Amino acid sequence: MPLTPLPLADPGSPDLSSPPAFLRWLRRSQRRGQLLATCWNLLEMGCQAALPIALGLGVQAAVDGDAGGIWRAGGLALLLAVGAALGAVMTHRQAVWNWIHAACQMRQLVSRQASELGAGLSRRIATGEVVAVGSGDVERIGWYVELIARVRSAVIVWLAVSSVVLVVEPVLGIGVLLGVPVLAASVWPLIGPFERRYEQQRALGGKATELAADTVAGLRVLRGIGGEELFLERYRAASQKVRAAAVRSARIWSLMQAQQVLLPGLFVVGVTWYGARLAARGELAVGTLIAVYGATAFLAAPLRILGEAAHAWSVARVSAGRAVRVLSLERNGGAAEAAALTKPAKADLHDPASGLTARAGELTAVVCGDPDFAGALAERLGGHVPLAEGERGQPSVRLGGTELDAVPLAEARAAVLVHDKEPVLLSGTLAELFDIPSSGRVVPAEALAAARSEDVLEALVAGSPECAGDPMRARITERGRSLSGGQRQRLALARALLADPPVLVLDEPTSAVDAHTESRIATGLRETRAGRTTVVFATSPLLLDQADRVVLLQDGRVAAAGRHRDLMRTEQAYRAVVTRDEEAAQPVGEAV
Amino acid sequence: MKPPVHEEQGPATTLPVGSPAAVRGYLLLLARRHRAGFSAVVALHSVATLAGLVGPWVLGSLVESLATDTAGSAITVAVAWYLLALVAQAAFTGWSRMRGAVLGERVLADLREDFLVRSVALPTGVLERAGTGDLVSRGTTDVDRLDKSVREAVPELAVAVVSLLLVLGALLVTSPLLALTSLIGLPLLLATSRWYFRRAPQSYRNESAGYAAVNTVLAETVDAGRTVEALRLGDRRIGLTDRKLHEWLAWERYTMWLRTVWFPTIDAVYTSAVLATLLFGGLFTLKGWITVGQLTTGVLYAQMLTGPVDLILRWYDELQIGQASLARLVGVREVPEHEGDESARPDGRRVEARDVRFGYREGADVLHGISLDVAPGSRVALVGPSGAGKSTLGRLLAGIYAPGRGSVTLGGAALSRMPAERVRGEVALVNQEHHVFVGTLRDNLRLAAPDADDTELRAALDAVDAGAWVDALSEGLDTEVGSGGTSLTPPQAQQLALARLVLADPHTLVLDEATSLLDPRAARHLERSLSRVLEGRTVIAIAHRLHTAHDADVIAVVEGGRISEYGSHPELVAAGGPYAALWRSWRDER
Repeated sequence: MPLTPLPLADPGSPDLSSPPAFLRWLRRSQRRGQLLATCWNLLEMGCQAALPIALGLGVQAAVDGDAGGIWRAGGLALLLAVGAALGAVMTHRQAVWNWIHAACQMRQLVSRQASELGAGLSRRIATGEVVAVGSGDVERIGWYVELIARVRSAVIVWLAVSSVVLVVEPVLGIGVLLGVPVLAASVWPLIGPFERRYEQQRALGGKATELAADTVAGLRVLRGIGGEELFLERYRAASQKVRAAAVRSARIWSLMQAQQVLLPGLFVVGVTWYGARLAARGELAVGTLIAVYGATAFLAAPLRILGEAAHAWSVARVSAGRAVRVLSLERNGGAAEAAALTKPAKADLHDPASGLTARAGELTAVVCGDPDFAGALAERLGGHVPLAEGERGQPSVRLGGTELDAVPLAEARAAVLVHDKEPVLLSGTLAELFDIPSSGRVVPAEALAAARSEDVLEALVAGSPECAGDPMRARITERGRSLSGGQRQRLALARALLADPPVLVLDEPTSAVDAHTESRIATGLRETRAGRTTVVFATSPLLLDQADRVVLLQDGRVAAAGRHRDLMRTEQAYRAVVTRDEEAAQPVGEAV
Repeated sequence: MKPPVHEEQGPATTLPVGSPAAVRGYLLLLARRHRAGFSAVVALHSVATLAGLVGPWVLGSLVESLATDTAGSAITVAVAWYLLALVAQAAFTGWSRMRGAVLGERVLADLREDFLVRSVALPTGVLERAGTGDLVSRGTTDVDRLDKSVREAVPELAVAVVSLLLVLGALLVTSPLLALTSLIGLPLLLATSRWYFRRAPQSYRNESAGYAAVNTVLAETVDAGRTVEALRLGDRRIGLTDRKLHEWLAWERYTMWLRTVWFPTIDAVYTSAVLATLLFGGLFTLKGWITVGQLTTGVLYAQMLTGPVDLILRWYDELQIGQASLARLVGVREVPEHEGDESARPDGRRVEARDVRFGYREGADVLHGISLDVAPGSRVALVGPSGAGKSTLGRLLAGIYAPGRGSVTLGGAALSRMPAERVRGEVALVNQEHHVFVGTLRDNLRLAAPDADDTELRAALDAVDAGAWVDALSEGLDTEVGSGGTSLTPPQAQQLALARLVLADPHTLVLDEATSLLDPRAARHLERSLSRVLEGRTVIAIAHRLHTAHDADVIAVVEGGRISEYGSHPELVAAGGPYAALWRSWRDER
């Protein structure tokens, strides 16, 4: 039976009206898998439930001294066993695949959501929460969705066994019919307290894990300066707390385990006692007694599934709540009116709030004493600034007179690329890093040369032996951690130059680069961006000297503009910021 | 079906993975440590299983008496025994599960604590090379995965094995003939299991790695949200996630296929047990070799084999995953500890590098014969283009790496041979890595000086210009920082790292762009106030800003792994070399 091909071409649009609705939606989107799993599971459990009949027939034949009967019973048992085995393996395959289907679908949904929200996501929700939905919650929800099919077949088997016994012996039949739900329900009172303790245990476990991750991540600091014992003690305390909490939840769990033995057992004992008395009176054949005994003993299996389902439901509901929260986040900021940009490469970029204008085709440098203000302004220059809940935005930046916020997000991003202070190098090979939407005018070699990244390539090649000397196949580890700050900055700059957008806004692109290299990058930047609009926020004279025009911002407004050398001569405030002569400027603490 | 092959391989693990022998050795160690607890679980569960064997026996004797018409009062007595056994079975099941959980939790706590103890003892050189990413994933993902294995799979499997042996034993007691026939499928099981075990462990390892890879991509997409949006990488990220999902699913399919072959053979084994007992037992009964009661009991026991075999099945996957994770945890134990030479004691504070050559790989030297003499109390600036080897030289001077050739000595003793604890009492390195630990600000500072009081902490913060923003925090030193607490900006984190350094107070400091994240003016102010506190200490500063060099006693310009210029700022400016040219363009003095 072919399994649904995964990952799905389109994970669909989920029903996010409530956590249960979301779970229902997931179930409905794998209807065929659910049906198949139910059927295979029915085959498995049906054969298992019927096996006692064959055994009963066999024993009865032995009692009656009927050799043929024994062979017939054996044949029946073989048939049932083959059916059960086939059912078991197919159920396993289908159930696991249903689990995977739900997990895969959810992970696809979360990844689409993350890509769509982009910058907006981290302002609204912690990274950890999104990742938790993509891993732990996915597993729990998958478990629940998969289990539903097995719950269905368990219920059907229970009804079927009851009705068969009902026909053979009405009193026993009613006992079976009513006994199973009563027994299944008897587990429920313990589930609530168990869940609470288990939640507590998980919360403590999460904290301990976080502590371990934190200690290990900062290990180089600890090894360099001491404090390992302090941190070990802290972790030990947390770990022992987890242990104590786990033992507390295990108390209830072991009680549930005992109950699962006792209650179905009592049921079987009762049935055996009643059946044996009937048999003693000659009203029930010995073989039938064995069959009834076997069938009731078998009912423990569907019972267990019902118990598991209650547990899965309480766990999945919480996880589904989290998933719904993440998936229903929406991006704030920037209206979705459909204004259009005409010739973004030939348009001036203007910010009404500060009065800053970057002329088309020029390299404009912006000098600002307050790096935080500079960062916020740089972000605003790209339009569509994501806002936190309840935050109000500033008036939109204009590109050639058109409000960027009114342009569709994708178009705004294509026109203006804002290269922030901490651009992330996504892990992968260098070729993958450079696989970005671009104009195609600049090739990777040019971009790398402009950002003076020769030594970065050497470091990358040295760090990944599997690339066989080809830097494009060299691997960049997560966030480029294997590279130094200056090397990371240059690779990121090369990537931005490669994208070659009509307007490029760079925020302190060389702050971690040494002076030797910075001066060479400055000329590289100028050459690569010739004829394109570029805004660079910087304070280094090596960069400012290359700009067509430098704008000085003070108190959030344009205070002066001109060539670097002219400003150095004429503007005392400019000189103070740029030469970093703290004696000449006001003390740092009061800097704006 | 062949195991899937992917063109791309993720980055290799940077730390060793435990060999099967090492894993076995560690398991033995754990088993010895918890012998008493384990025996108790097995004993309790044996009682529970034995009590569970009473039921079929009662039914067998009932059938026996019913068949020979001697029933009557025997029924009530037999059922009473059954009832008693059931209550005992339930009680002992609960008890053994409880003991099992207690044991499992102890073992788990041992595992995770042992791991961290070993991790914090890793030599710094290994950490620098391997990075901490792999270690973090071992400490979190692998510990979590083991959680389920140890908490559930190990007790369940132990229980299943005990049950299996006891049921077989009971069969043997009931009728040796029947016990023998129930083992009919064993050869088949052995053959397929051999086939399965050869392929399974590696496949499960790949499967879980594939699962984790999807999360890594997702976390990165979320983390780099701004970059993803700015560069319009959304569709590519979706594509990448789908590709990673595809790779994960290929492994899921492969392991599923392995189980599809293996599971039915297990079914066949216990089915053949039931069938054989029924068929042969029935015929034996007809021949009068065994009684009907024995037959009934035997058949029911044979059927009871299903339970334990199923349990083994169900938890086997989990154990496979657990084994892979355990190997990764145990791997950390295989990193040789840096013993250190107790006799390497510095005499004085002079730092000397003599003709140092060093490379991260064989045949690719980064430093080509560097000699540098740092007088006690002097301030040396290392400048030069990126990739020239400044940071590497800094790490050698801080004793993190041993030179390939030549020597790096402190007071005449080789730094790399000293025990790590001694080195850090003498030399400290602060680099761009700025980790803020989860905890209060006070915790973050005190790790450098456990006995420091608040006045000392305040003084250290003031020395790095951090006094003002710490005061502005509502809870001051008690503010919770780090992941989940108040988040500090990178410049603040860097100030924190420097404050720790002030508290640790080593006589020699290596600062590798330690102020690079601060804005230039604040950086310069900080460096000046720091230098007042560090009066008399030897400072080796790797700097990319020229004012740092300007303030130093001696400047060494490092280019291409060699020192190309050496001297004080005025000397170098007067010499008119590359440094002078750079300085002039920087100060705009043309």
